[in-house]
Amino acid sequence: MSWKNIKLIFIKELVGTIRDKRTIIAMIIIPLIFYPLLFMGIGYFGKMGNIKSEEAVSKIIISGAEFAPQLIKYFQDNKKIEVLSAIGDSQSNLQKGEVQAILIIPQDFEYKIKSGESGQLILKYDATEAKSSIAQKRINQVIEKYKSEIILQRLSRLDLQEEFLTPLILQEENIATAEKITGSFLAVLLPYLIIILIFAGAMHTAVDITAGEKERGTIATLLVSQISRLEIVLGKCFAVMLISFTSMALGLVGLTLAFLSGASIAGGIEGVQFGISINTIFLLFLVLFPLVGLASAVLVMVGIFARNIREASSYITPIYMLTVFLGIISISQGMELSGKMFLVPVLNSSFVFKELLMGKIYWDHILTTFSANIIIAGIALFGATRLFSKEEVLFRS
Amino acid sequence: MIQVEGLTKIFHDKKRGKVVAVNNLEFNCQKGRIFGLLGPNGAGKTTTLRILATMILPTKGKVMVNGCDVVKEASKVRRQIGFLSSETGLYDRFTPRETVMFFGRINGMEDKAIKKRTAEIFHSLDMENFQDVRVNKLSTGMKQKLSIARSIIHNPPVLILDEPTVGLDIITAKTVIEYVKSFRDQGKCIIYSTHIMREAEKLCDMIAIIHQGNLIAQGTLAELKKNSSFDDLEEIFFELINQGENLE
Repeated sequence: MSWKNIKLIFIKELVGTIRDKRTIIAMIIIPLIFYPLLFMGIGYFGKMGNIKSEEAVSKIIISGAEFAPQLIKYFQDNKKIEVLSAIGDSQSNLQKGEVQAILIIPQDFEYKIKSGESGQLILKYDATEAKSSIAQKRINQVIEKYKSEIILQRLSRLDLQEEFLTPLILQEENIATAEKITGSFLAVLLPYLIIILIFAGAMHTAVDITAGEKERGTIATLLVSQISRLEIVLGKCFAVMLISFTSMALGLVGLTLAFLSGASIAGGIEGVQFGISINTIFLLFLVLFPLVGLASAVLVMVGIFARNIREASSYITPIYMLTVFLGIISISQGMELSGKMFLVPVLNSSFVFKELLMGKIYWDHILTTFSANIIIAGIALFGATRLFSKEEVLFRS
Repeated sequence: MIQVEGLTKIFHDKKRGKVVAVNNLEFNCQKGRIFGLLGPNGAGKTTTLRILATMILPTKGKVMVNGCDVVKEASKVRRQIGFLSSETGLYDRFTPRETVMFFGRINGMEDKAIKKRTAEIFHSLDMENFQDVRVNKLSTGMKQKLSIARSIIHNPPVLILDEPTVGLDIITAKTVIEYVKSFRDQGKCIIYSTHIMREAEKLCDMIAIIHQGNLIAQGTLAELKKNSSFDDLEEIFFELINQGENLE
């Protein structure tokens, strides 16, 4: 095995990939330009929509207004609520969106309030309509205000203070460090994103330089050269690893930019302070590299097996789905893996990432994950080289 | 330069079962000669040439290329051969200069030697005006010239050409044929497969006719004519195929 030959293949694949417009679009334009613009757009329109809904006056119908004159005064004082008189079928007015809510006051409401009982009110609204939900919140606020007033009146009738209703006061203090807050915030999504970006970044190149070479008929020209099959496979695999790692890094930068730009437009970011120690970063990389190697080796192996790019894509789709599934498991809060489960590729990395981001370092988990992924990547590389030496695989038609 | 003895290749196909692609072939190709493998599609030409080029292994028999065994000394054989077929492609995103540089390097040449040889080849194939244009911008003729340049960059004494004119227009095909002749004049041993009778007639010093994996006749065009009642290679070809089928 000669490193010079591996380097020749590695550089050839890198140059070919970088010169491919699709790579540039997928690696640079989409994460670094499209994501931030998309999030900025979502943030902007979201904010505009919110402002519009918040500014608009809620139109409501109160049926039985004459049974609660005091409550009605509270509504009339609220400038964001306009009380309309009921004309025709108020329910259909609500369905058509002409009014945003209907409040029904029963005949005995005033009597029950005065006699110390509970006065029942019925509020009809449409939770799927933003404007109706806002109306519901505003009505609730008015009712809460009126309720507090009644409570105070009732307490004073009994000669009691307001504190009578709050015998205990609990004051909470969050002692989590900035690192931990960042970690727990990142730990939810980051492992999943890293895994998806690694696989998505590796897929196109892995297929293009294996099944693509078969499809274009360039593979035979490599096979009759002085380079061995193992050197070809290693050169290709290293190229996929670098592309996959770079596109993951650019993807994360892009998503961070997107998140920051989107969030700052939508109303600023609260409570996120960034702080990850050098040790954690080192350990993250220690877990990351075998995973990148594993993804590349498996995808290169599948690409070599397939007859053409289309066939390779159809084999890779279920692998990608499985990866997404294994990645998603790590998102669920409170889920913990037992020792042996750290032998399962992808799943192990996502959980170790999560632990590291939370500031927890479990060496047994890290070492199991590292070795399991390295061994599986090695097996996939061995398999890829074996396939590359099989004439029935290379010349299938 | 090329000695083929008892060459047999059997494939195992899921649907068809055991398939004898090449059956007990025997032939020799000499230096400075063009040896033609003539046969219809599916006759076993590509399989034979792939074995000669060390891409696949024979089931039985012995093949020596310039004194090296294709099974035991595959790497040495690869140093002796240039391979070109109608199916071999080029890297679209590289220029002709980069392409031959890459193939020179993977064939163990030093950069200085590659540059010198590239200049010679590009001059003789008249490729200088497009040597820095990416392959995906080149015409079919230009691409075929580059394919030839790629296959001879390491100056191999043996050329294995598998239907190199298939899919080419007549002008490009003629150019290819002219270059093949010039390689013969340079003393190279050339094995050339085709299903086009006219090409075999014009180009080949020796012709082997294969049908369904079997070698049914071989000799110079004159010898083939002598042993047949016909004077035209196409007629001779059909006569031989019919005789072969009657024997079965």
